[in-house]
Amino acid sequence: MRDPKWRDEGEEPDYRFTLANERTFLAWIRTALALLAGGVLLHQFATELDPRLVVTVLSTGLGVVAAVLSVVSYTRWRANEIAIRNGRPLPFSWVLPALAAVCLLTSAVLVVLLLVA
Amino acid sequence: MAAHSVPAPGDPGLQPERTALAWSRTALALAVNALLSMRAGFVTGQPLLVAVGALLFAASGAAVAIGTVRRRQLAGHRLVITPPRGALVGVAAATLLASAGGIASIFAEGAA
Repeated sequence: MRDPKWRDEGEEPDYRFTLANERTFLAWIRTALALLAGGVLLHQFATELDPRLVVTVLSTGLGVVAAVLSVVSYTRWRANEIAIRNGRPLPFSWVLPALAAVCLLTSAVLVVLLLVA
Repeated sequence: MAAHSVPAPGDPGLQPERTALAWSRTALALAVNALLSMRAGFVTGQPLLVAVGALLFAASGAAVAIGTVRRRQLAGHRLVITPPRGALVGVAAATLLASAGGIASIFAEGAA
């Protein structure tokens, strides 16, 4: 396996920045794994919660978001690494506001379900 | 191209240590999901989910190994900055697999 081409772009960055980027990638991966565990746990253990369809949609949604995040975390790490190497500003990403929206929506639906139950 | 390395500067921010620890935490998160997948597999009698769980346990072990390698790479007089080849892609792929398994477990239980 050869090194990807972007590894030759620009200059080797300050080690602190590239290590921080690696940690950020891992933090996103953990976020994805936590969302996934939340979704699976919700479906397996919240068996009293009705309507069942909403719980299934919610759990599946969390799983899908986790899948998207796992891909995004890698593409973002790569984009950040390239930006750092070329001394460009880090690319803006919609992941952060989108993730906040997903969490808000999930909590809102869960609160409604719990109140109705 | 060889992995990029720099002389250890005695970083007060302990960046190398935090980076190695981040790998260990990720291994733990993978192990939690492996357990969940295995449990779902055994409860619903889905060998596919048990297999996904076993794969995730392997991925978790790999992440522990990478954490150990990273700790060594970031501990000496020279820091190896480049992450191990394929490690990041591998972890992302394992998370993708876990997500697929998680979604499958939701529908497997629904059918059972």
